[in-house]
Amino acid sequence: MAAAAAAPGPDALLRTAAGDAELTDRLLAPLWSRARAWWIAFAVTGAGTLLFGIAIAYTVIAGIGVWGNNIPVAWAYAITNFVWWIGIGHAGTFISAFLLLLQQRWRASVNRIAEAMTLFALVQAALFPVLHLGRPWFAYWLIPYPATMEVWPQFRSALPWDFAAILTYFTVSLLFWYAGLVPDLAAARDRAPTRARRLVYGLFALGWRGAARHWQEYRIAYGLLAGLATPLVISVHSIVSMDFATSQLPGWHSTIFPPYFVAGALYSGFAMVVTLLVPLRRIFHLEDVITTRHLDSIGKMMLAMGWMLIYAYVVEAFLAWYRGDVFERYALLVSRPTGPYAWIYWIMLACNCITPQLLWSRRLRTSPLVLLAAALLIQVGMWTERFIIIVTSLNRDFLPSSWHIYAPTWVDWSLLAGSVSFFLLLFLLFLRFVPFIPIGEVKHLRHELAQEEVAWRGEQ
Amino acid sequence: MGGAGEDWAGALARVEGRAYWRAVGELLGDPAFALASARERPLLDGDDGGDPASHAAALVPGGLSRRDFLRLMGASLALAGAGGCLEPPRERILPYTRRPQDVTPGGARWYATAFPLDGYGTGLLVESHEGRPTKVEGNPLHPASLGAAGAYEQASVLQLYDPQRARTPRRTRGAAAWAAFVREFAPAPVGGGFAAGGAGLHLLLEPTSSPLTASLLGRLRAAYPRAGVTFYAPLASAAPDDATRLLFGRPAQPQYDFSTAAVVVALDADFLSGMPFHLRYAHDWAARRRPASPGSGMSRLYAAEGAFTPTGAVADHRLRVRPSRIAGVAVALLAELLREPGALPAGAPADLAAAAARARAALDAGGAAQDDAAARGWLSGVAHDLLRTPGRSIVIVGERQPAVVHAIAHALNALLGNVGRTVRYTVPPLAEALEAAGPPVPLPALVERLRAGAVDTLFILEANPVYDAPADLDFRSALGRVRRSVCLGLYENETAAACDWFVPTLHYLERWGDVRAWDGTASVIQPLIRPLYDGRSADDVLAALLGLTGARTYDLLREIWRKRAGPADFEPFWEDALRRGAIAGTEAAPLDLRPAWGALAALLARVAGDRRARAAALTPGPPVGSDGTTGRGEPEDGGEPRAPAAADLELVFVRDASVYDGRFANNAWLQELPDPLTKLTWDNAAVVSPRTAARLGLEAGRLVRLGLRGRELIAPVFVLPGQADGLVALALGYGREGAEAVARGVGLNAYRLRTSDAPYFAAGATLEPLPGRYPLATTQAHWTMAGRPIVLSATLAEYRADPEFTAPHRGPVTALYDPFGYERGDQWTMAIDLTACIGCGACVVACQAENNSPVVGKEGVRKSREMHWLRIDRYFLGSADEPGVAFQPMLCQHCEKAPCEYVCPVNATVHSPDGLNEMVYNRCIGTRFCSNNCPYKVRRFNWLDYNADKAETLEMAMNPDVTVRARGVMEKCTFCVQRIRRAQQAAAVEGRALRPGEVRTACQQACPTQAIWFGSDTAPDEELARRLRDPRRYAVLHELGTRPRVHYLARITNPSDAGEAAAPAPAGGQPLPAGPGSAGPGSAGQPPPSPPPRPGAGQRAGEA
Repeated sequence: MAAAAAAPGPDALLRTAAGDAELTDRLLAPLWSRARAWWIAFAVTGAGTLLFGIAIAYTVIAGIGVWGNNIPVAWAYAITNFVWWIGIGHAGTFISAFLLLLQQRWRASVNRIAEAMTLFALVQAALFPVLHLGRPWFAYWLIPYPATMEVWPQFRSALPWDFAAILTYFTVSLLFWYAGLVPDLAAARDRAPTRARRLVYGLFALGWRGAARHWQEYRIAYGLLAGLATPLVISVHSIVSMDFATSQLPGWHSTIFPPYFVAGALYSGFAMVVTLLVPLRRIFHLEDVITTRHLDSIGKMMLAMGWMLIYAYVVEAFLAWYRGDVFERYALLVSRPTGPYAWIYWIMLACNCITPQLLWSRRLRTSPLVLLAAALLIQVGMWTERFIIIVTSLNRDFLPSSWHIYAPTWVDWSLLAGSVSFFLLLFLLFLRFVPFIPIGEVKHLRHELAQEEVAWRGEQ
Repeated sequence: MGGAGEDWAGALARVEGRAYWRAVGELLGDPAFALASARERPLLDGDDGGDPASHAAALVPGGLSRRDFLRLMGASLALAGAGGCLEPPRERILPYTRRPQDVTPGGARWYATAFPLDGYGTGLLVESHEGRPTKVEGNPLHPASLGAAGAYEQASVLQLYDPQRARTPRRTRGAAAWAAFVREFAPAPVGGGFAAGGAGLHLLLEPTSSPLTASLLGRLRAAYPRAGVTFYAPLASAAPDDATRLLFGRPAQPQYDFSTAAVVVALDADFLSGMPFHLRYAHDWAARRRPASPGSGMSRLYAAEGAFTPTGAVADHRLRVRPSRIAGVAVALLAELLREPGALPAGAPADLAAAAARARAALDAGGAAQDDAAARGWLSGVAHDLLRTPGRSIVIVGERQPAVVHAIAHALNALLGNVGRTVRYTVPPLAEALEAAGPPVPLPALVERLRAGAVDTLFILEANPVYDAPADLDFRSALGRVRRSVCLGLYENETAAACDWFVPTLHYLERWGDVRAWDGTASVIQPLIRPLYDGRSADDVLAALLGLTGARTYDLLREIWRKRAGPADFEPFWEDALRRGAIAGTEAAPLDLRPAWGALAALLARVAGDRRARAAALTPGPPVGSDGTTGRGEPEDGGEPRAPAAADLELVFVRDASVYDGRFANNAWLQELPDPLTKLTWDNAAVVSPRTAARLGLEAGRLVRLGLRGRELIAPVFVLPGQADGLVALALGYGREGAEAVARGVGLNAYRLRTSDAPYFAAGATLEPLPGRYPLATTQAHWTMAGRPIVLSATLAEYRADPEFTAPHRGPVTALYDPFGYERGDQWTMAIDLTACIGCGACVVACQAENNSPVVGKEGVRKSREMHWLRIDRYFLGSADEPGVAFQPMLCQHCEKAPCEYVCPVNATVHSPDGLNEMVYNRCIGTRFCSNNCPYKVRRFNWLDYNADKAETLEMAMNPDVTVRARGVMEKCTFCVQRIRRAQQAAAVEGRALRPGEVRTACQQACPTQAIWFGSDTAPDEELARRLRDPRRYAVLHELGTRPRVHYLARITNPSDAGEAAAPAPAGGQPLPAGPGSAGPGSAGQPPPSPPPRPGAGQRAGEA
């Protein structure tokens, strides 16, 4: 890829900007803009966030009976949303840390956005497990704190580990994001038009002066954090999958869950990156920074993840048949494809298995609109996948006498819509106040590319 | 000041000896002090005996003196300081500074009393905590209970505390005092009394067996010879008495002994759950149905019925037949038996057999008899078995059948030599009151009198005729013609709203009284609590009408029994009666009766006669209260049983398993108790068979216009496999319109279609589908076991051939870890015999009452959020036309390797050393992971705050030994851990070990068939030990390795080989649908759940 990156082509766009200063100015421009579109978007997502708040308040005050959950379907939308958001939160760190360690330079212009996406998705994800508790005010009992009653969480349960994993992941992601942000905050400070902004950016820039020593230590810290974050990409969703896999419910009780969940998480995460990048690229005219090569690479990742998922689906169904367990056979081979939620199941398969096949074509893969459409379908598909895993396994388990349908209420829908709004709202704020393209890294990459080109020409 | 000082000195000088004074005011004889202390007294002493009005007057601060003002100010300041920001409690408290002799705070006490229903009593033991009854249990010494208690009995505690009970008497709209009632109705000189001879005075009350009421009625008749009395109960019928009068020349009550019957034939008779004495019947029947070993025998049950009942569900051979054709079945059975050589009884006319054959032929020609193979097979099986077991069989007929069917049943019992063995006859317990009241006025006659203005004052005592009288009588408008109407009722119901005077009645747990059981055994109803409201019992009202205002009912009752106790010392007798709950030696007098065979032959001749005579003979009798003795009017067109036209439907009105005839409609426990077969809650519906539904293009939840003889009702449809085709079953008791908020608007009022000439079933119903749908709430949306080994069943023959057929479903399971060593101390375990379970639901209500389980309402049930810790799963087996039914009580299995425990992140569900899976409510944060991982789905979650805003009286109904759960926590069956611990504490205090069988769970106690048995694995009683050794033992979902502590004993049926040959092949019929499709709106309206794989025809080993 390194060779490809150096080749002249669409990447040359990276080099069109006149100079470093101009590039910096361009990339910081959104911070000082007063676009009306932003305010409209802010109002819309703000309203959605308000709805989120109302739904949360109603849930906490009245109890989760205001949701559609029941016995047997004790988990439904909240956990579906939780797993979905956690999954989305995977791509950010994967792009930033994993690809950094693998020295994939194409990550440079998209990693900040992906990291922010991770953080905001984790904020949404973290809300749901707390909200879904019968008594959310006791959520802290999941933490192994030294209580005077000497009661500890139960470590055989997946949930305290889940809690710990998410907390760790969030902390490291935040640090990683912030560490990468420091040079750019300094750049913002230096170019801020007002004194107040200079002060605020200056505060968060932690006195960064761009000295060589700063850069040296920054590089070390950033690399270390990347090393720390990378295994978390694998661990978080593996542990989330344990919430299901350690149970004995047909449809949950499966050893394939950890890799299956990680693949699914990256799949939806990349889809969300595309969902955010494509409009952003268009609105802020960043085609020369977020190039079609970026889109191409992300498309390939999605295709790969899609196939991993298809493999998992096939293995799951095959093993359900092969194992010969009546309950599992029924859950996976009868209930899902023909049961009351069959239509959701088929939507899931269509979105998750057929959509990625479009991405075999390079032309389609590099077409922003096609990619965006595919990404949206995959988001829907991944949400329905979590719904199918959770709800169809619960609604028809061992004893038919307790089988019952689940139907969401307006509160369930409000929480889903509200969390999407809140996510977008946070993202809008991020666009408005934080340099969303890593300016330092882009400039760095530009110089590298220029040098490589000189070397390449020299060889010619 | 000086003057005051002198006063003190003077006053003190006058004090002699050790006189105490509380305040200077008292010493001085200050009138202000007297007033102030009078004001305080009501707060301290309570209002015992005083007139509330005068109390209120005393409490009004009229003129405040300066001293009072200062005192009040001082008190206010002091209270403000002491109370801080807390509101001082307004309730009176009862600190036991001197504890009453027989009360241990925190300890429960049990008192014997009896529960009256439609005149018959069930003996109870009622648990009482500090003077408030909390739980009803059966009285083991009472013949109608034998320790069991049904759902109505169990739920009666909730009715006692129902906050919507009427509280004060009223006259028209205004409140009125009981004293005013007495002034108006008691005879002179106390009150106004009635016209000479009581002309124009009429009483309407339920049939009663109470000796006290009978004596009061007798005295009333003596005082007012021209007063009229009507007994009315909507579910009772005059037909049984008509039959005995016809056949034996006098009313007689059959007494059945199911414990010795080898063959039972139930003709439209739900004797296991729907008749008076059913608890006893179920107990005796089940005693012959639990095969202790493969070698032991079982009785065989044949049932012919239209609507599915628990009796039909557990029958070995069930014939689906419309109620109108039961007569044909009975006649055919009689003809079949009389055909046998030498069958003709002594004294019978020689042509009896011929008469029976003619009647059979006539009914066949008229299409009233079953003409298909199923009926023929069933009949020949019954006949074969009855002839095989002379003197050891019972033919029993349901109350709603016409007298001719009852008469044939009596004849059959006589013919088979059962009389004197399995069937005895006694004087009816209701006879005493009937005789005392004089010639009864049937309800239609009463209505005529009302319309004619012949009734001046009508007393309606604990009946609700405006709601439940036949619709053609239009009781409400007739009631408007009466000058004075008086209603005595627990609630301000429909009748109360139409009456001038209303007096709240006393709940049976609040009053003195007596009642007889079906077999005549008398019990004293003793109150458990002082009346909560200003109510009077029916006996009180009768006593008031007699001017016995000085005497308490208690004294009247003792007076009656003093006379009956004979010369023996009365006090020990009385104490014994109260303590035992059943008065020995009061069984009804036995009758030695021989059937008048000539009368039977004449009856058969009428059946065989022309159309008109046949119709008259076969029309079901009117309810009790109608004229049973004389010939009744010609039925309208449609009353004639005839060959069904394509769209001809028959409508049957059935007793509701939850609300009875409507009187329990305001009881939320009962409303939420699922029907045994349909599993419907909070509604009734027009129940039809799948074939009929398919023919009419109906599905569950579809609204239809149900018509009968020009009357109409919009009803939702429910499809139930196993119901007779062409039959619409409609439960009575819903669609209430009184002031009862729980009952109001729940279901639809079937009484609107019920007329006095066809009160139980009627042909000619029409059913017209309407476009709308109606949401029904069922607790079980799926019907089959989906081919899974859940309820294992086998026939007795199969069981004998392979006694170890449940072996794959018990024993050790391969596991990675060794099981935890549960060997020390008591290890609690339960064994449930599925052969004995009749699905009646008594255990469900018992559990709810014992464990303070909340109700969730119809919406909650529709969302599958019911809170029952114990549910009864009902599965259909075989085809939808001729399904078998398996009931399975399902509760926490207390798995030794509980899947719920290891997934709880906060250790809120843990295991006790004695093998209980425990739930720590205050540690639970409500992740619900435990429920997800529970393969039995027996955990219940408090989705909302179900216990918020509980009425004060309902708080009194709570069992103080069990936590009332908060919102957001999980709960489930605890094996009644509070009972275990109570027994353990008692044993520890007495320094002994627990006795085997000492701890009984609430469900075990309630179960009339003793299907549920509980105890310690390490020190079991005889029965538990036997069950644990039983080869039928297995664990549900055994292969999961959860090691449940609840053991099930496989369900064994006992079909005859002869019958099997003739019975229709189970696989031949329509396939079972997956469920009623009322499981709630699917996510965005997807189609109803598709059918899971159908079980095969064989029922062996749960069709695994």
